[in-house]
Amino acid sequence: MKHILITGNEAAAWGARLVEPQFIPTFPITPQTECIETLARWKVEGDLPGTDFERMESEHSVMSAAIGAAAVGARVFTATSSQGLMLMHEVLYIASGMRLPIVMANISRGLSAPVTLWSDHNDFLDQRDSGWIMFHAENNQEVLDMILQGYRVAEDPKVLLPVMVNMDGYVLSFTDEPVIIPSYEDVKQFMPAYDPQHTITPDRPVTVGPPVMDEYTDYKAQAHLASRNALTVLKDIQDDFEKIFGRRYHTVDEFMLDDAELVLITQGSMSTTAKAAILEMREEGVKVGLLRLRVIRPWPGEIICKALQNAKAIAVIDRNIAPGKGGIMLPEIVETLYHSNNRPLVSGFIVGLGGKPQTEARIKEITRKLADDLASGRPRIEWNDLEVS
Amino acid sequence: MQPIKSIKDIPELDLFTGGSSVCAGCGPSMGLKLALKVLGPKTVIINSAGCMTLLPLFPNTPLKVSWIHNAIENAATTAAGARHGLDALGFKDMNVVVYAGDGATYDIGFASLSSTAIKNERVIYICYNNQSYGNTGFQCTTATPYGSETKTTPRGKENPIGNTNIHKDMLKLMGVHRVYCATASLAYPVDFLNKLNKAKERNGFSYIELLGTCATGWNFDPRYTIKISRLAVRCGMWPLYEIDDRKLSLNKEFKQLKPVDEYLQLQGRYKQLPPDGVTKLQSLVNEHWAQLNEFNAKRYV
Ligand SMILES: Cc1ncc(C[n+]2csc(CCOP(=O)(O)OP(=O)(O)O)c2C)c(N)n1
Repeated sequence: MKHILITGNEAAAWGARLVEPQFIPTFPITPQTECIETLARWKVEGDLPGTDFERMESEHSVMSAAIGAAAVGARVFTATSSQGLMLMHEVLYIASGMRLPIVMANISRGLSAPVTLWSDHNDFLDQRDSGWIMFHAENNQEVLDMILQGYRVAEDPKVLLPVMVNMDGYVLSFTDEPVIIPSYEDVKQFMPAYDPQHTITPDRPVTVGPPVMDEYTDYKAQAHLASRNALTVLKDIQDDFEKIFGRRYHTVDEFMLDDAELVLITQGSMSTTAKAAILEMREEGVKVGLLRLRVIRPWPGEIICKALQNAKAIAVIDRNIAPGKGGIMLPEIVETLYHSNNRPLVSGFIVGLGGKPQTEARIKEITRKLADDLASGRPRIEWNDLEVS
Repeated sequence: MQPIKSIKDIPELDLFTGGSSVCAGCGPSMGLKLALKVLGPKTVIINSAGCMTLLPLFPNTPLKVSWIHNAIENAATTAAGARHGLDALGFKDMNVVVYAGDGATYDIGFASLSSTAIKNERVIYICYNNQSYGNTGFQCTTATPYGSETKTTPRGKENPIGNTNIHKDMLKLMGVHRVYCATASLAYPVDFLNKLNKAKERNGFSYIELLGTCATGWNFDPRYTIKISRLAVRCGMWPLYEIDDRKLSLNKEFKQLKPVDEYLQLQGRYKQLPPDGVTKLQSLVNEHWAQLNEFNAKRYV
């Protein structure tokens, strides 16, 4: 174990290095480049002895090669971002449909056009229904830890689904933070050697990815149930993780929720800013708390309901936009609360597109507006400072 | 490996049994059946979406080897991934073989093919060229010959020719990747299988293009699949040659080619091709044949 200052990209690379994948197909895209460059350098320096590092000609081929290698039974890692993730879109469904436990880091970046290099969450939320398990990290330590946990979930026989570990571009990918690098021994204890459930060997012919008729729906039902299984599996994994590494993660991150009347729902790196703002607002007596979504798929609806049982008003802060609809997570939260005994007021705020910074002042303003909404009984949907509905 | 000398030397091994749902007279499926005789059981086929994708239909398969169907444009890079995975797991003796259509090869999957070839991945890539998007009902690809009618190049008042493009010279394109490349025809199985054996012995990428004679799309009586596969070679529409280390070898030489018309007349897709179209097609064939003869046994790319 050692404590070093590294970027989110390097944290993702460290996560990969520690699990010793057999195959890493890559294609560069800002802001993911540093992650694969780090792995390439480690490879030539002899730090990745059992790993094949490969350059592909596109992200579509990255995921295709990942599928080929995973289908024969190899452990695979890769990383991408934005347009690259969009180019993979077709094959993401194939990876999950074949139930291949690939783990991929996605360094989120807004989508063209117009071009932006900065982060928002549209790239991976567009993959929301692809059958991948989707995590979203708040900081660089969590990036590394999520990759370790990601392999455990992905490879669990009750799950067998690919995992995407998302982090915000620039804010995490290019920012140094102190990160604890676990030892190989501890990682081995957490994660015994890979015993692939799907293999192709010379003595046992198998068919992967054939056409089906009526069974299609059964396959999809199984993949859905497997994704739901991941919620239970994840709990055990988090227990094991705490035992070995001493850090505890929960499926949703609850911050000062016990007595909170106003609750902000956030994702990713802006949660750190929001938490700081909340601490200040608490000093002023505002009963505000935060719920951070860190597991997007499978959707932890029941856990969210429980965490929100005392809330009176909720601000869903979406760093994404579904044009013609609004924020993507807002309807997910509203649907979840519809089945809850507690039905708080829910307002939506669309923020931070194309990397627009989220300041503490902005978080405080959202909280004030949420208090107004609670007083007036009228929820709002707001896009930056613009009332859009 | 001893070269196969005559049809009697072709192994009896059959890894492609009955019960598949392909059309009567389907050339590509015959090609796979033949190929598996020399590829053997330690083979994984990587298939691109196309006619052959329907060989296995859950829960049945006519194949006694492993098979991965991923998508249409990524057979080559899926194969590269499988190769790396198998090597990492210690199965270096397994053959990784792509079986892909011309649409998947010339068009939508060309980038993935090119990168896999230039990196010289240990993969045998067989393109069964039925000169169309067959599975979707016979539409034009960049492998479709000049003058062929397809569903997206129908003949009509404004265009009596059908496809007016000249197909891609794929062998040359693959040749510049400095890999072993060859053409093959079902009518010359010994030549085809010897080329596959050569590819098997390579410690790198090879590209073999088999004329995927297609009774349904080309619109001929299914009993003529082999006859048409032979005529294609005899008329110079499908010369048999290879490019090895950038050098060309013609594998079937003829003093005189038969006229293309003999080949065209057997197929509905060329039935209405007007005489000037036939003349143009003949001149394209002559030009290619002359070029191959000029470069025979010489550096070609
Ligand atoms: C991205 C994508 N676009 C289109 C298709 C539809 N499609 C399925 S098979 C096929 C034809 C493939 O042609 P070819 O590679 O020549 O093989 P063939 O069908 O002739 O065997 C097409 C276009 C697809 N599967 N995927």
